[in-house]
Amino acid sequence: MNRQEYIIAAADKSILKIFGVSIKGLNTRDLEQRLSERLHTLVRVIGVTGQQIEMDVYGIEPEQIRRDEQALLQAVSLVEGVTANELCTLAVSEKIVDVDIQKVPDKPYYGCARERWVQF
Amino acid sequence: MERIRIIPTGDEIRAGIVRDLDSPMVMSSILRQYPTAEVLRVAPVNDTALDILAALTAAADSGADLAILIGGSGGGHRFSPTLGKDFSHSAMDEFVQNGCAREIYGKNGHLWCRLVCGKRNGMMAINLPGPYVEAEAAINAFLAAEPERMDFEKINHAMAEAVFAQYPAGSAEKR
Repeated sequence: MNRQEYIIAAADKSILKIFGVSIKGLNTRDLEQRLSERLHTLVRVIGVTGQQIEMDVYGIEPEQIRRDEQALLQAVSLVEGVTANELCTLAVSEKIVDVDIQKVPDKPYYGCARERWVQF
Repeated sequence: MERIRIIPTGDEIRAGIVRDLDSPMVMSSILRQYPTAEVLRVAPVNDTALDILAALTAAADSGADLAILIGGSGGGHRFSPTLGKDFSHSAMDEFVQNGCAREIYGKNGHLWCRLVCGKRNGMMAINLPGPYVEAEAAINAFLAAEPERMDFEKINHAMAEAVFAQYPAGSAEKR
């Protein structure tokens, strides 16, 4: 590679997971828009299996997401490609934690910093 | 840019769990700028570096001018076992003979996105993030960066800035 550059995005985010759903042909854009409207913030789908959805939610407190659980699950159930089961539920992580900027790579590398800490 | 290959990646795309919204959007953007281009969306590729590399090689062998790889640009499985396997950028690193790369990291030290732009033999190759909004920003930045001039630094810079701008405003710094 002739040249590489590194950018640090200092955005706050939490991980939101939805369980107890059946997924086929998920329209991720529809899901992001519905949850963004509900939470008034940026939402990105980052991982999907047939039974769960994982999303990044930027810039709001995890507690705010938990308080809105029922409305969020209702919004998810309306998304194209999602069938919500009776045991549909959600889980939210705490906000991501800052690391020392020196821990972020300064040379070509396509893993992530945590990978090196645990010496994968 | 007359022969273009769109290569979506991801087991969830291939299995139909997630609908491939990015490829039609990318094709539409390309046709806006290159109305006479032959644009082919190939079958989604499994999330393995070898399969992705094979798809890139097949695109080059078919005489394509440009290959656009979609998805798998983050750290993915490397920091969360529930996330997909992200091998697009590592396959791109292997494939591209000269080019540029930019990485966007979260403040938690996780790789959020690695964008690579370069060339092998006669074919240019770029990759896009999977999330629709970021993929749309990246492809539009690519098309606005005069790709015919093959200025990989300019193209890569424009694409990374466009993706970076999708994160919440005023909350980032560069190194």
